[in-house]
Amino acid sequence: MDKRLKQQYSFDSLNVQSKTSKPIAKNVRGIFKNSTFQYLLFGAILIVLLLVSVKTPYLPYSWYGGLISTACFSIASIGFCLLMGYSGMASLGTGGFIGIGCYSVYYVMTLSGLSFFLAILVAILIAIIIGVIVGFISLRIESIYLVILTLGLSEILRNVYRVLSDSINIGRVEIFGMKILTADTMYIIVPILVIIMIVTKNLISSPTGRAMLAMKNSTAAAQAMGISVLKYRLMAFIICTVYASISGTMLILRNGSATASSGTSFYALITSLNILAAVIIGGYKSIWGAIFGTFVMYGMNTTILQNISFLSEHPELVTIISGVLVIVVVMFYPGGLAQLLQGFKGKISKLLLKIREAKYGKDLG
Amino acid sequence: MAKTSVNSKIGEFFYSPASHLIKLRKELQWAIAEKQTLKDVYEEEKYKKLTAIKSKYDNLLAKPAFKACDKVEYADKVMADKLQAFDLKQYMQHRAVNHALTKAIFKAIKKGESYQSAIEKHQLQFKKVVAQREEFVKKLQKEKQDFLLKYNTKDCTEYDQLLAKLKDDYQQKEKEINLKINEKISARSKKLDDKIACLEQKIANVKTKIKHTVTLEKDVLLSVKGLKQYFGGLKAVDDLTFNVKKGEIFGLIGPNGAGKTTVFNCITRFYDATGGDMYFENKYGEVVNMRDFKVHDVILQGISRTFQNVELVKEVSVLENLLVACTREYQSNFWIHALGLPIVQKEDKILKAKAMNILKFMGIENYAGWYAMGLPYGILKKVEIARALMSDAKLIIMDEPAAGLNDSETAELTEIIKKIRDQFNVTILLVEHDMGLVMNVCDTVCAISFGQLLAIGTPEEVQKNKAVQEAYLGVEEE
Amino acid sequence: MGYFLDTVLDSTTAMCVTALVTMAITLIFKTSFTTNFAQGVISAFGAFVASTFFNKMGWPIWCAVPISIIVSAAIAVLVDVGIFRRGRYVNAVGKQIITMGLISVIVSITPLIFPDLKYFATNFLSGNISFVIDGYNVTLAKNALVSVIITTIVLATIFITLRYSKWGLSVRATASNEYVAGMMGINTHIVTAISWGIAGGLGALAASINATSAEIGVYFMTEYQVTAFLAGIVGGFATFHGPVIVAMLIPFCTNMIIWFGNGVISKLTGDATLGASIGNWATTIIYIIALIIIFFKPNGIFGKKIEKKV
Repeated sequence: MDKRLKQQYSFDSLNVQSKTSKPIAKNVRGIFKNSTFQYLLFGAILIVLLLVSVKTPYLPYSWYGGLISTACFSIASIGFCLLMGYSGMASLGTGGFIGIGCYSVYYVMTLSGLSFFLAILVAILIAIIIGVIVGFISLRIESIYLVILTLGLSEILRNVYRVLSDSINIGRVEIFGMKILTADTMYIIVPILVIIMIVTKNLISSPTGRAMLAMKNSTAAAQAMGISVLKYRLMAFIICTVYASISGTMLILRNGSATASSGTSFYALITSLNILAAVIIGGYKSIWGAIFGTFVMYGMNTTILQNISFLSEHPELVTIISGVLVIVVVMFYPGGLAQLLQGFKGKISKLLLKIREAKYGKDLG
Repeated sequence: MAKTSVNSKIGEFFYSPASHLIKLRKELQWAIAEKQTLKDVYEEEKYKKLTAIKSKYDNLLAKPAFKACDKVEYADKVMADKLQAFDLKQYMQHRAVNHALTKAIFKAIKKGESYQSAIEKHQLQFKKVVAQREEFVKKLQKEKQDFLLKYNTKDCTEYDQLLAKLKDDYQQKEKEINLKINEKISARSKKLDDKIACLEQKIANVKTKIKHTVTLEKDVLLSVKGLKQYFGGLKAVDDLTFNVKKGEIFGLIGPNGAGKTTVFNCITRFYDATGGDMYFENKYGEVVNMRDFKVHDVILQGISRTFQNVELVKEVSVLENLLVACTREYQSNFWIHALGLPIVQKEDKILKAKAMNILKFMGIENYAGWYAMGLPYGILKKVEIARALMSDAKLIIMDEPAAGLNDSETAELTEIIKKIRDQFNVTILLVEHDMGLVMNVCDTVCAISFGQLLAIGTPEEVQKNKAVQEAYLGVEEE
Repeated sequence: MGYFLDTVLDSTTAMCVTALVTMAITLIFKTSFTTNFAQGVISAFGAFVASTFFNKMGWPIWCAVPISIIVSAAIAVLVDVGIFRRGRYVNAVGKQIITMGLISVIVSITPLIFPDLKYFATNFLSGNISFVIDGYNVTLAKNALVSVIITTIVLATIFITLRYSKWGLSVRATASNEYVAGMMGINTHIVTAISWGIAGGLGALAASINATSAEIGVYFMTEYQVTAFLAGIVGGFATFHGPVIVAMLIPFCTNMIIWFGNGVISKLTGDATLGASIGNWATTIIYIIALIIIFFKPNGIFGKKIEKKV
């Protein structure tokens, strides 16, 4: 009906207000703002990128390795993001927790011959136990001391792995009688990443997330509001360890083997530090930030930097660049790249305003 | 004997009546809340259905309405709308032209040349803009003439007929919908009534399992008896006894280091008192000893508190800060939160409405969507009080509410504290250094020094008490 | 008895190294309020410098090691002045990440400057002192003896300076509250820089001592560094002596467990593999014991409890 006619002749003359239905364009925009849809879209784009890099020459094959390891480690980073950004605790045990996943897959699958998904369940169970232990410890020790303590715990776990079986090799995993080739692991890894993202987002925006934030700001106020510090600290640590453990199962699924004693293994201190750095770089309160930070730490090297011919001739420079980047980001953007991006948005709108003013003069009315 | 006690302990591990009671009460609370908001929820549903029907009828009416309208009037309206849009566009052009002129003049002055040419240029451009508008108006008039030539007829019969028919239709449908929704409401409320009755029955059953041996004197809400708190050799609170009556504003005063905050922390269980008991008549009318509860269970009994330094969550909005106080009231658990089921949003809606009411009461509803970080201190203090009100507490403990506020804010706070007591039917216990506030607002004042009671009574009595004066001003040496 | 003594003497080098590293880490922790993860690689850099002067240029070891100490100290001071002074108000975890970024920078620069260096070919003093007890040949490397002497002198000097000198007082003041110390007229910038310098020097000395018995590489001090962090917490970062004492106990206890496995359990059961497997778990057992101690004494063995105010 015509807008002008409506004022005169519409059914509203019955004195009941009626709302015009939302235009379709607005609905579409609403869908894009829905975080669940965003994450699904992200997963789809990731799979398309991976497929392009594997099947076609448009993207180099090195992209596959970079993106898939980003996806694997992102799971651990998201858990860490929740732990650090929302409950205010940091840990350096991620490496050890990742090992839980690797070893449970190894023992459950190769030694007992059971299915891969059962292995994931076992990994989650063990991770819960370890998470409970760390959670209880976190009640007594805080801040940087807790960080060092989890570092110790991670070293314990790594020692245990070293003694149990230094290098593990599971080869290619079979699921439902099908051998999962390296290139096909993405069909398992990416959906799990997307599920983890959705679940985490739900938790963050739920009362649980609020309670964690309250606890981070002030334990005393949180307790006075009826929030049990024990419960939520345990919860945060369990989530962190479980995510890290799932990340470990994904890594072993992709790589097929791992060694505990080598300095660059998944369980070493360097992994814990990298995940910590990823979360700090990305901005420790945002899921997107965590994923982007992980990409900077794990994916950027193989995807972008190595394809620049000057850098591929001097591979040492790549590590130097990433190190300097980390230092610069932490020093000048304490909120991480998420903060940088927000600042960027503000700057753009300011720039647009300036352009307008240059053209039309200042708006006086 | 020993065996039975062990058995009962194991039994308590799996089933404790107290925790069962908490769970049942939570359910009951939600059932009542749902019953209260039932009408609003269905009203919304009804509104949605009716608007859908209306927009459908609007579409049906479109053609006859066009036939029925006065064409001249209609064309005028269309023209006015178009002209308005055009003017809006031209406004920016005007601005650009004017801006160019000022720039040109400045440039000319800087160079020391005459800016006559710039003005002429401007006038030329200005004329152009004006001419554009005139042209547009002419075009519109021509359009109007064409339109009138084509459609200059007026036929109301079809529209009137259709409208009358639709009106009847609408009334009938509205009746049907009303009937349906009323049925739904009555069915649901009947179910809820049953549920509430059932829960009440269960609560009564469980209550019999818990024995309450202590009774308080008439009208007493909180009774602190022989409270002791030692830190090593330091006796922060030493054998303190006082009663807080229902509905009064009770002030606790004393010089620095007298142990006022320690008393609060003992009552809210931040410190595990060395000795003594604190009996409190909780939300449900039972007398409990606060020493039996953990610090995070205190709020469930009906005691909430504010802090000396504002302790709010900085990263979320004011409204969400209030919801933090309701964390224990949510029925949904971790798994429901993780899956993001719609129950959470439903619960959020009910609690947000409640929070908005409290914010309106405090007069800070405009700040509901603001982040707590960066708000003025006076507002933050109010938010904290609002948060304490969220949990339906019976006793609100305020730790130096006026600290850091200026005189006008303190005066406002006095009013608010009185208003809270009257409106929410709560008892208020406060520690304060601002004697003006204490004397204005308190019904009873209790003065302590070095953890021991000096005097208790009305503000005037305490003011005149010699021991109190000595504690504040020191003993005169003669 | 002989085997026991041998095991004890075996752990002397490790004890010296951990004690020195822990001292360095504690100094930085107290003045910059962060755990310096780059300590290990800075020390390793020092070892590379010493090795270059000693092996390639043939300088005497008494010159090479001080030069390495000076170089490492200079790097550490540079790090403090260039990075930490600017990032003063970054939070503790952020500072950790900065040191982590430093790791990747130094790790990639080191092989560029020192290609193909692996061994610190000779010791301070070659040869062993050996004697026989209970029919067991006990040996003590002269090198270890020299290490112990050097470590003792260095640590004693640092402790005495911390306790009695003006600098020591300003370090302790900075450690307890940086702002207040600054207001009282202490130049906290210089205090921090000197602390970093000393820490770097200590690291290089520790690396040189460690290099006499181990193959050098960029990561070869990391293990000691982790032990030092743990020792810091178990001993309590509140004091200087606590972490150092615990740091010396850790390698000692590890060797004790190995001795217990090989010397006692194997003899009792007659099963050599069982004893050896206990030795395998030694580090794990030590770490678990440390965790248990921390759980029951959160402020460390030598730390003090601080009451929190609500």
